[in-house]
Amino acid sequence: MRIVVLATLSFIIFKWVLIPLRAEGISMEPTYQSGSLHLVNRLAYRYRKPARGDIVGIKLAGPHVLYVKRIIGLPGEHLAIERGQVYVNGAPLSEPYVKNRRDWDVAEVTLTAREYYVIGDNRGMRAADHDFGRVDVSRILGRVIF
Amino acid sequence: MTRRFAVSAAILVVLVAAGVFAWRTRETPNEREIRSRLDALRNEVNTSTKDGIGVALHAAQIGGYFTEDAIVELGEGAAPITGRETIMGMVARLQPRTAAFRMDLDDITMEMTPGATTADVLLTASFARRSISTGEESLDAREYALVMTRTDGTWRIARITAIDTLR
Repeated sequence: MRIVVLATLSFIIFKWVLIPLRAEGISMEPTYQSGSLHLVNRLAYRYRKPARGDIVGIKLAGPHVLYVKRIIGLPGEHLAIERGQVYVNGAPLSEPYVKNRRDWDVAEVTLTAREYYVIGDNRGMRAADHDFGRVDVSRILGRVIF
Repeated sequence: MTRRFAVSAAILVVLVAAGVFAWRTRETPNEREIRSRLDALRNEVNTSTKDGIGVALHAAQIGGYFTEDAIVELGEGAAPITGRETIMGMVARLQPRTAAFRMDLDDITMEMTPGATTADVLLTASFARRSISTGEESLDAREYALVMTRTDGTWRIARITAIDTLR
């Protein structure tokens, strides 16, 4: 009986609450190394909105393959990147988690009421090799908590 | 009595949950067939071959998963690839490189149109590549929308459109 309850609880928790994931690739280095294991809390944004600095899981066609990115822009904000420095509403954004920067340039974008701007922490790689940009709030699956 | 009731209630909850899960994940025969076709395509893409006849045969087999007038749209900056012949030509040219990667298809969902002759399919395709120099494996994933049609009793891909998750 205990085994059944435990198995059911585990199934429920790891299917609908905490999604285990393994980081693949270097786009979140040095914060997350390729191959490291993490959990995404699907309930994190049930009672609050995603915040700047949160690391989130972003779903593609479903929850089994996710982008893991950091939120740097919130709905309604103007965001640009000039020579590797991120500007939000014209002011430079402090990003202590970024250890290496290349001279990335992104023309200013204005986020809609449903959009966040997400990016990886590894800015030492070529921008062309790094997936980043605006994402609809419906694609944010939850917050990476571990 | 209380304990027996609790045990019965717990078993009932598990059974109901399992039933709901099974009902929600059930598939029609057409859906099963499409999933099977996509699995077969994935296996075919992941099959490695390098000799001339093998490459041509491999390309022809992959071409068989597409309709004559299939269109592949890979996104901004890339011209659409039109026609099965073109796709087969590209597969043959890419073969030495595709041998270095493995493709997986995840999160496949589909919606059948009335009459069940066309299906809109959404999936994530992952390409794991191993660097020849460092041996490191990297993973690229992208979301794709497929239109599949049933022709001559077989489901084939009529259109592939890459979706930009991050814009």
